[in-house]
Formats: sequence, C-alpha cells, structure tokens
Amino acid sequence: MHRSSVFFRLATLLFCLCLGWWFWKGIEALEHTGTLTGPAVHYVARAAEETGASNLVSAILFDYRALDTLGEATVIYTAVCGIAMLFSRSKYRKSSTGLSFIVKRGLGFVIPFILLYAAGIVLMGHLTPGGGFQGGAVFATMTILFCIVYGSNFEAARINPKIKEFIESTGAVMFTLIGLVGLIAGAGFLANSAAGFPTGRVGSVLSGGTIPLLNIAVGMKVGAGLSTIFYSMVKLLEVKYEDAVEVDRP
Amino acid sequence: MIKLSYATAIFIFCIGLYTIISKRNLFKTVIGLAIMESAVLLLIVTSGYIPGGVPPLLPMNGVAVNPLPQAFTLTAIVIGASDVALALALVIKLHRRYGTVDLDKIRGLRG
Amino acid sequence: MMPVLAVIVPMSWGFIIPLVYLFRRKLLDQAILLFAFISFMVTLATAFSGWQGYNVAFLGGWSAGLGIVFVVDKLSAAFLVLAATGSGAAFLVSYGRFRADPWRYYVIFFLLQSAMNGILVTGDMFTLFVFYEIFSLAAYLLVSFTMSWQAIEAGLKYLVLGTIGAFFILLGTAYIFMATGALNMAILSVSLPQAPPETLTVIAACLLIGLFIKIGAFPVHFWLPDAHSSAQTAVSALLSGVVVKVSIYALARVSLLFFLETRPAAFTVITSIGILSILGGHLMALRQEDIKRLLAFSTVAQIGYILTGVGTGTAAGITAAVFHAFNHMFMKGGLFITAGQLSEDMKTRNISQLRGLYRHRPGFVIAFTVLAAAIVGIPPLNGFMGKWYLMLASVDAGNIVSALALAAGTVISAFYYLRILSSLYSPGVPPSRRKPFYWPFRVTVTFAVFCVLLGLTAFMPPVWKAFSTIGTCALDTTAYIAAVLVE
Repeated sequence: MHRSSVFFRLATLLFCLCLGWWFWKGIEALEHTGTLTGPAVHYVARAAEETGASNLVSAILFDYRALDTLGEATVIYTAVCGIAMLFSRSKYRKSSTGLSFIVKRGLGFVIPFILLYAAGIVLMGHLTPGGGFQGGAVFATMTILFCIVYGSNFEAARINPKIKEFIESTGAVMFTLIGLVGLIAGAGFLANSAAGFPTGRVGSVLSGGTIPLLNIAVGMKVGAGLSTIFYSMVKLLEVKYEDAVEVDRP
Repeated sequence: MIKLSYATAIFIFCIGLYTIISKRNLFKTVIGLAIMESAVLLLIVTSGYIPGGVPPLLPMNGVAVNPLPQAFTLTAIVIGASDVALALALVIKLHRRYGTVDLDKIRGLRG
Repeated sequence: MMPVLAVIVPMSWGFIIPLVYLFRRKLLDQAILLFAFISFMVTLATAFSGWQGYNVAFLGGWSAGLGIVFVVDKLSAAFLVLAATGSGAAFLVSYGRFRADPWRYYVIFFLLQSAMNGILVTGDMFTLFVFYEIFSLAAYLLVSFTMSWQAIEAGLKYLVLGTIGAFFILLGTAYIFMATGALNMAILSVSLPQAPPETLTVIAACLLIGLFIKIGAFPVHFWLPDAHSSAQTAVSALLSGVVVKVSIYALARVSLLFFLETRPAAFTVITSIGILSILGGHLMALRQEDIKRLLAFSTVAQIGYILTGVGTGTAAGITAAVFHAFNHMFMKGGLFITAGQLSEDMKTRNISQLRGLYRHRPGFVIAFTVLAAAIVGIPPLNGFMGKWYLMLASVDAGNIVSALALAAGTVISAFYYLRILSSLYSPGVPPSRRKPFYWPFRVTVTFAVFCVLLGLTAFMPPVWKAFSTIGTCALDTTAYIAAVLVE
C-alpha cells in the first residue's frame, strides 16, 4: 500500500477518528466536580507554610516532586549531549556576517534588558510564575539572537562552547549536591525545610529554602543546554553533503 | 466550555497521529510529533480547571485552580521539546546524506 | 536510602564525566572504570536490600500522597540484578573495544543506567514517565552513535515510534489523573476500581498500547529489527538483553497493580499479543539473510514468550517470565556479541558468507553453539527450563493456545539456528589477520557458562522455590500498599 494512495489515507483518517471518538467517551464518563480533590487540597492549603514559597506550582515542582524536575533536567542534558555528539565531526566552515548595521546597534541596546529579564524570571521563580526552565530558555534565546544578528563566528568567540559545557555540568552537579545535603541530614533526598534550609518569610525574595538555589541550578543547565543545541545545528552554514561513513560497521 | 477544550485536545491528537502515519516529508512527521505533544498537554491543563478559579499564587482571593496539572505540563513541555530537538537533529543528518527528506527515497525507513 | 542511591549515583557520573574531560583528561580512563564499578555495586546492593522485605524510600520526607516514593520489592530486585549484570557486561565489551575515547558515549551510557534503575524502583506514575523518557532518549542516541547512514535511519525510526508510545503513556497517565486525582501507584491501586468503566478501558488501552510500542511486540515492532541490527555490538547486546526487559517490567508492574481485579481482559490481551509475537517473530526470522536482523527478530519472538508468562496473571507465570527474562539476557547478549565479532572479522553480515569460522576462531564458535542450543531449547540448558516452566504455567492458567505456540516456536527456531550453525562450521576461506578480542571473548564464555549453570540449578527444588517467591511477591498487592501507605 503506497503511502499517498487515497485508500490508505482514508483508512488512516477513519482509524484516527474512531480512536478520538473512543477517547471522548472516556472523558464524558467522568463527572466533573467544581472543587479540588486529592493532594491538591493539601497543596493549596499548606504549601506556603511548609515550603515558604508563594508560587504553589514552584513549590510542587521544586519541593514536593523535585525528583521529577531533576529527571526533566536530565532529559535536556541527554538531548544536548546527544546532539553535540551527532554534530561533533562537523567542521566549522563559514559564518554569516549578520544583519544590517541598524539591527546590530539596536540589539546592542536591548541585550542588557533581556539579560535582566532572564535573571528576574529565574531568581523570582518562587514568588511569581517563572523559574529555572523559563529563565534558562530566555537566556538561550539571547545567545540565539547573537548568532542571528552578529553571525555565529562572533557568538563562538564571545562564549566558548567549552564554557557552555562547563556551565551545564556545573548546574547539574549543583542540583544533585543540594539534594544530597538533604540525604545526609537524614530527611530524604531533595528535602527542603526538613533538612534545615530556612523557609523565611513568605513573600520576600529570601524565602523558600532550596527553591531559589534549585532555580538557579536549573537555569544554568537549561540555558547552556539550549544554546549548545542551536550552536551545534548551525555550525555549518554551507549546505554541503559531508562524506558519510559508508561502511556499516557490524 | 471545558468540554469544548477537551474535544479540541482529542481532535488535535488525532490529527497529529494521522500526520505522523501518512505524510511523506520527514519534517511533516516531526511536526506531527509536536502536534500530538501539544494536544496531550492541552488535555492535562484543562483537567485542572475549576470554574471561577484564580491562579495558584499567593495572595489568593478565591478558589485556586489545581496546581498539580500545571506542574506536570511544565515538565512534559520540556520533555517534548527535547524529543523534537533530537528528531530534527537526526533529520538534518539524513538530509546531509541523501539530499532529500522524502520518505520514499530514503531506503531504510520504508515499512 | 539505597533506592535513591541506585538512581542518583549513575546520574552523577553522567554529569561529572564532562568535567573530568575538561579538566583532567588523563584520568578519564581510570575514572570511567571506577564509575562503572561503583554503579554496579550500588545497584546490586539495592537489589539485595529489597530482597527480604519492602524497602521504601520517601523522597524529601513527604508521605506517599504528597511526594514521590521509591519501592524495592522482589520483582524489582530481580530486574535490578538483571540490569546491573547486563549493563556491566556491555560496558566491559565497549570499554575493551575503544577505551575512553568517545566520552559522550559513556555519559549517555551512565544516564541510561540511571534511568533504568529509576524505572525499576519508582512507585509513582509520572516519575515512571519522566524516567522512561530519559531511558528512551539515551537508547535512541546509543543506536545512532556510530553515525553510519543505516544507524541514523534506524535511530530516527526508533525515535518516531518510541515517542508515539511515550505520548500514549502520557495520555494514559492524564486519564488516570483525571479519574482519581492521585498519581502514586499504591494509592491508585486502591482508588482506580472506583473510576467509571469506560474511563478504565481507555486507561488500560492507552497504557498497554504505549508499553507495547516501547517493548516491540508484534504488530508494532517495526523499529526493533532496524535498531537492534544497526547498532554497535555492545549496544545491540544491551538493547536486546536489558532495555526490552525493563519495559516488560513496567508493563508487569502496571498491569498487576491496576488491572488484576478490575480489567482481567488486559491479561488476555497481553497473552494474545505474546502469541502473535512468537509466531510473527519466528516466521520473519526464517526469511532473513543478515545475521543481526535474524537475531533481532528472534528477540521479538522471545519477547512473546515472556509476554505469555506475564499474561497468565498467576504467580507461577510471573516467575517463569522473570526466569526466561534472565535466560534471554544471557543467551541473546552472548549471541549478539559473538555475531558482532564474527561479522567484523569477515566484513559482512550475510549468513551464507560467514563460512569457515570454526578453524579461525574456535572458541567463539563453540560458545555460539552452546548459546544457540540454549535458545532453541535443548534439554539440560536454561532455555529449555525456561520454556518448560512457561508451558506449565500457561497450561495451569488454562491458555492451551500459548503452550502450543511455544512448542511450535521451538521447532521453527531450530530451523534457522541450524542454518547459521551449518554455515559457521562449513569449510571456507578464513580471513588472514587475527586481532585478539579479549573482553568480548571472556564475556561470551561467561554467559555460555551461566546458561549451563542456570539450566542445572533450575532442577534443584530449593533454588527454584526461592525463585518462585518472586512471583508470589509480585502478585501481593495488599502488602505493597501497606508498605507504602504507612502514616
């Protein structure tokens, strides 16, 4: 059956629609109460005093279910390591000269504010919506803007790829070490107030125990990681079919 | 209103699945993956909604919506993005080798 | 504390290796060896700590409903030993091949090991999904590591199909959350029976479809032959031996905790997919000319055997399935390593051209013979014992069809393994140069010896009785819930 034959496409469409209808039956059978159920009741009521953070989602992400966040940061780490490995043999050939003079000057004015914005998102993650992942993504956007506006040559000269690797690994190790403090103190891995970190006054910047520290660690990791992904993919700007490794090694 | 959101999420999921199975261009397959991921995330976020709720930030004046699905969605967005990034990297390497991203011309991926 | 260490220690090695590479490049060789040894010891220690009773670790000090728990019981302990042995052997083979040169390979290897341990000890559905994604990404990368065009194509196919499976699992988890509002496996085991029946069917179907795609069972196995045959030798052994088993563990754990009383039809589905995999895998393997592709289809068939064991839903069935999982790791790991080395010698993977190797490398060929005899099911070896116990458990549970499929599969597999053996022993022109393969040879011989030993010890009643406690413990959901929900 050829992929683009009409019969195949109709059959697939029918199959997907039946699947969707059956999923819909599953949802319709559930009754929707208008109140919170399950652990959410405890989170909404007690999270502020137990963790010291006023952003409940951050409290869940970095305190109650912090291991999921460590796993998620490891997913990005694995992807970055793999993409760097896939493109590691690409030699650096040619870089563009960037965009026009007006854009370059304009970006020069805006860059400090973008950095401030990224730092603000990371550091205030326990008070307002935001946190390590979001701030790290903004920081990586800044390095991508560098590549586009000034040319990747400039970007590599400013921020060495090895420094990015170092920052990423350091962020990851920092996260694990903070968790180990809790393990050594006997309260369990990645424990917050139970391990002796001060919770502070709810609503001030210095509150939340480990949450600001974990935000910084994750921000470092994600920022450096996403920046490495973009740089690895854009290193070769000439579209040249590289000599692939022909022998299929068993 | 909530039911419309659920129905949209499921419909988008089916579109994503259809795109992955039946499109010939590899980039469209990767787009299908991203569409499927967005659909599941929309489903998760909608499940936490309480009618008349406020965001789960202190100080709260009202009933807060469920913060747990929002935490799951943040995690799942990052995981989906990593998957798509890796898929795109592999597609770029294949394009460098073959000069095309048409599925029928790339030998090993048929079937 | 031990379950946490089993996950964190390999992960930290994955984070520290780039730092070692940047600052102290000369220490990299010894450092990687030391890291692998420590990970192996920690995983084994975790397995033993869970053997006597339930070893529960509450992360962050929060109780089961609020935070994440790690639980090690006998089923997890058995699979932890399997994972440690398999990855240790694969590490030795790859370290022997290329030392510490591709350091990113070792980073991904350690992250894979950490994710496998994470799946095996977790007690929470969303943590299962997150660690499953780390595990899958690392597997896709290890497959495309050699960067030949075949490997990259296989990696992309594996990625697309694996991600579809992952999103089905996420969809199932979303439905579980919508139905009950909790995500801890013990709490779900209590509160999921109260969900409406249509939702339960959707949950069961989504989780099963997602997990079947990840395992590589018959109708959705398309990625498995390409991925396992295009990967490097050590990676193929790791994939076929360990990665598939971890997915089967996830399937067993989820089905036993959630669907045993509420949806027994799920177990019938697992058994039928198992039977389809057995027949499909064996029949497709008959037509293959490439030795590694043939071994990959043989893996699909053996997955079918293990699935019929899980699908019985009885203690004897689960025990037989775990025993066969161990056997398969030893047999298929050894077969892949041998096949890899022999085809590298002859520079081809075509079976009809692998001739005259008996004179060239007698040790390898004899080990291959022992392993092939084991996997076909010749009596005193472990393959026969595994299939025997599987057939007993199936007949006890009333599935006559699966017992018949098992017997038919044995006959068909004898055909294609005999074809390979006849090609290996026939006279031909051996290649001239001879590079010594130190570590792969040792590992293969050790696996062959283990096959013989496992076959003989399964005869002894006290050993088998100790082993069958795994099955009874896996079915004991009340004790699991009681161990986790202490207040």
